Amino acid sequence: MSFSALLGQAVVNGLILGMLYMLVAVGFTLAFGMMRIVNFAHGEFYMVGAYTAFFLVTVWDVPFVLALLAAGLATGLLGAVFERLVFQRFYGDELNGMIVAIGVSVILQNAALLVWGPTARTLQSPFEGVVAVGELMLSRERLFALACAAVIFLAFWVVMMRTQFGRAVRALAQDKEVALMQGVRANRIYPLAFGVAVGLAATAGALMAPIFSVSPYAGVAPMLKAFVVVILGGLGSIPGAVVGGILLGLVESLAGTLLGSTTADVLQLALVIAILLFRPWGLLGRQEREG
Amino acid sequence: MKSVRQNIQWFAASCGACLLTGVLAAPAFAQDIKLGVHTTLSGPASTWGKAMVGAAELAADDVNSRGGLEVAGTKHKVVVSSYDDNYKANDAVTAMTRLISDDNISFVVGPLGSAPALAVLPMTTESKVITMTMAFSPKVIGKEFPYSFRPVITTEEFAEPQTAWVVGRLKIKRVGGLFPNDESGQQMAMATVKAYGKAGANFDTREFFERERTDFLPLLTRMFAKNIDAIDLNGMSPTSAGLIVKQAREMGFKGPIIRTGGDATADIVKVAGLANSEGLYVHQPIDPSAPKVAAYAKRFTDKYKVDMNAFSPMFYANVQVLFAAMQRAGTTTDTTKIGDAIAALSGFDSVIGNVSWTGEQRYGIKRQIDAPFYIGQIKNGKSVIVASCSTRGCE
Repeated sequence: MSFSALLGQAVVNGLILGMLYMLVAVGFTLAFGMMRIVNFAHGEFYMVGAYTAFFLVTVWDVPFVLALLAAGLATGLLGAVFERLVFQRFYGDELNGMIVAIGVSVILQNAALLVWGPTARTLQSPFEGVVAVGELMLSRERLFALACAAVIFLAFWVVMMRTQFGRAVRALAQDKEVALMQGVRANRIYPLAFGVAVGLAATAGALMAPIFSVSPYAGVAPMLKAFVVVILGGLGSIPGAVVGGILLGLVESLAGTLLGSTTADVLQLALVIAILLFRPWGLLGRQEREG
Repeated sequence: MKSVRQNIQWFAASCGACLLTGVLAAPAFAQDIKLGVHTTLSGPASTWGKAMVGAAELAADDVNSRGGLEVAGTKHKVVVSSYDDNYKANDAVTAMTRLISDDNISFVVGPLGSAPALAVLPMTTESKVITMTMAFSPKVIGKEFPYSFRPVITTEEFAEPQTAWVVGRLKIKRVGGLFPNDESGQQMAMATVKAYGKAGANFDTREFFERERTDFLPLLTRMFAKNIDAIDLNGMSPTSAGLIVKQAREMGFKGPIIRTGGDATADIVKVAGLANSEGLYVHQPIDPSAPKVAAYAKRFTDKYKVDMNAFSPMFYANVQVLFAAMQRAGTTTDTTKIGDAIAALSGFDSVIGNVSWTGEQRYGIKRQIDAPFYIGQIKNGKSVIVASCSTRGCE
């Protein structure tokens, strides 16, 4: 393989990976931006989405695309229930909210371990094989995931920018008191928005189930990546999650391919430290005013 | 003044609390043999952890169904307690402290991983607790740790005979491999690279990865750029191995893939899929078609409703060895005498065949199990044995 092909392969791998990271990170940053909840259970909702799609496809023969939507909706509903029962009491209380989220994460993970066991399962992809473009080898299932991630994100963006719900979410994220004075019904918007955030994680989980397998721990790595992405892009910033996701995917792939895994891990964390040192609000986040 | 109903509720709650306290605090009978399991019950390595717990519980069921283990004319029931070490050294120390100090246990199935095993060795040695570890590190057995036994064949033992056979058969010249970035991974890398070198193949590229990693494309791309003939999967976790097989095949790699590590066939096939795992060469610690192993696998699956991992019968065999050693030593408490009796057992007829103890040359003490093992090739999702091996070679 020539160096240019190696570089090309690394860039393509990184872009695909970055788009998948972005999809997980968008929900995570939405929950934080609006409710100030650092939802460390986000990865477990990803895992629940992956299992939902797995059972729908393998047990009930539901077509994969429908399973993807059903996983997002069902897990989103579960997220809304959690929001009402647990998270709503911790809005604005970042430390306790984070501890509660870690608790929810442990409960969901161990519940999955008890119910479904530790063995990883794989979901048959509707698109298998590779597409060869010159020296580049592109996996069909990853290309499909890339396309789905792009469509899902566009749909989410349209909802956030063009609908009354999206405007209400943005208003609550920008200034809750002013939003309430303008008649935004926070009690209705919060569970819906949390459900959407969790639904996005679950859809990402379902989308990645054929690529990375399904297990009770499937959400651990994506959660860590989502956390890094939102630190890079800016906590609470949706465009930041897009930029951060793609940047992380590219750094991980290029450094991993050219320099090795250990160096790639060091570089990713060095990047996070550099951002926290020189631009703690992230690449596209808002600088919080003090006083 | 309390109503009658309130008094009844109070009385019932008090009785319940007393009963609960009594149940929780009830000591095992003085004659009971307490067997601890110190392993990983959460995370990707829990497949192996559950295999160890199952082995201890099934071996205990055997003797308890016969009224207990008869030692020096007295029958002893076997009670099993399991703790999770999360595959972490800190948690391993906590779990072992509970086993030794709280539960007063002197016989432990485990620890599983090298880092947990190394962390608890000083404690178990000082307390004279017999451990049966699955840790692949060569540092977990030695003259200074006379109570540490290893009932599984590790890369140190099987890598050379297996690699010599595979390299000779497939005429491999250049090999690449990914290893977990921890103590176990470093040890496996050393043993595997040395084994391929001895067999006449160059281990051209080795990469280390964090165990949480799921996307191996960058590392595989890097390896393929060096034009390797084959990939070695060593003893990484079953899920990681399955993902590497799947992603390597997705990238169009058609060369042989070899698992020079513990049993993970069922998980590799589940994760990588039937087509991707076809033709893989795997280390097979047991012969699943042997009647005793097949019967054990059925018992395991019937009880736990999951596929049996091949390490389970090895631990089951070791608990059988422990019980036999207690009978020969005539004691259930003197771990020095029992340890000596274990090491003295030779050609013991167990579920996995005749087992003995070796390790004097390599580790300075007979604490490493010597049992037959096999090389399998995955065909249609199942491992078909293609060579039978001992530490001396495969045929």
